[in-house]
Amino acid sequence: MDERDQLRNFIAAVYPLPLMDMEAFLSIWEPFQAKRKTLLSREGEKERHLYFVIEGIQRVFYTGDDERDATIVFTYPPSFSGVADSFLTQTSSRFSCETLTPSSFLKTDFNQLDGLMKVHHEIERMIRILTNHAFSGVLHRIVETQCFTAEEKFRSLFARSPHLLNLVPHKYIASYLGVDATNFSKMLAKIRI
Amino acid sequence: MKYMTEQLLEGLHNQAEKQISNAITDWQQLPYEMLIASPGPGRWSAIQCLEHLNSYGRYYLPQIKKAIQANQDKSPSQFFKSGWLGNYFYSLMNLPNDGKPARKMQSPKNHQPAPFPDPSVVMHEFISQLETLGMLIMQAKNVDLNQVKVPISIATFIKLKLGDVFLFYTAHISRHMAQAERALGTWREQEYPMLKNMVKTA
Repeated sequence: MDERDQLRNFIAAVYPLPLMDMEAFLSIWEPFQAKRKTLLSREGEKERHLYFVIEGIQRVFYTGDDERDATIVFTYPPSFSGVADSFLTQTSSRFSCETLTPSSFLKTDFNQLDGLMKVHHEIERMIRILTNHAFSGVLHRIVETQCFTAEEKFRSLFARSPHLLNLVPHKYIASYLGVDATNFSKMLAKIRI
Repeated sequence: MKYMTEQLLEGLHNQAEKQISNAITDWQQLPYEMLIASPGPGRWSAIQCLEHLNSYGRYYLPQIKKAIQANQDKSPSQFFKSGWLGNYFYSLMNLPNDGKPARKMQSPKNHQPAPFPDPSVVMHEFISQLETLGMLIMQAKNVDLNQVKVPISIATFIKLKLGDVFLFYTAHISRHMAQAERALGTWREQEYPMLKNMVKTA
């Protein structure tokens, strides 16, 4: 399937854009490839790009004072990637985004999308609906972080994204769950039995 | 040996990519019993092979990083020509096509792994080092592989060209990853189908 068709199908499932608006929306994306461990956006810089993931796994992460990092979210097809809040508000990012496997994307920038949203009400509405879903996801994640035990978090991630286990280094999953590598290995062994 | 720089780095990156992909999709998933099992008296377990590689990574990766950072002014050259000593080390490490080393080599004492290293710690470090290696190979596109020099671990007063260091360092990884795979071999036949089923039903 053509890369733009993948984006078209993804959008159509969220909010059925009228044909003209859909064509305008699809016209602002360019293919983009990145090798493993490529930094897509850096903490402290403004996120200029929005990515639609065609292939591969990425993560958005926060780096603490002691160089330990916390994985905030994994992205993989079909979904958007990049530092969403910095992109939407065009303020400097508190987070970084990197590829965890070789990845391919469609990529656009803020000015193009913003320009379209000013002219196409339907596109702005579609972006708002996408943002609503993301917001709901964030609240759900807060509940998980506050109320779930490490093992419950692990089971929840495993149910949602079982493929991550086989495709990314486990240290990133451990940093998403907030456990160290050794405890993560123990949980993994337990879940497999 | 004379190489086209771009092709050399692309080839090295592909090799590192294969190595890390194998470590993540396969070895990282294996139960510890398999990783720590010795294939025979006096022979290293898979995890010991990886720990041996880690001990070299702890030396070489920071050295390579430092050398690249200190030489950003030396712009890339179209060709890389290996030095005689670099080429010699590479030929020592490089495996024949059948993947079995032509001769056994004794490892220096300070690179001999402990009998039972912690598998989760070793695997974590091994994969992190391979990630770093891939990034360094990409960064090396900005410097001259002929002019950037890295001191070698057995005699730090000897410095080799960065291109040679990448060549023998990645060949050394392949050598011991093949050894680790042989150590796992017999276990895979007995245990692996059962393990796969367990993962599927989880």
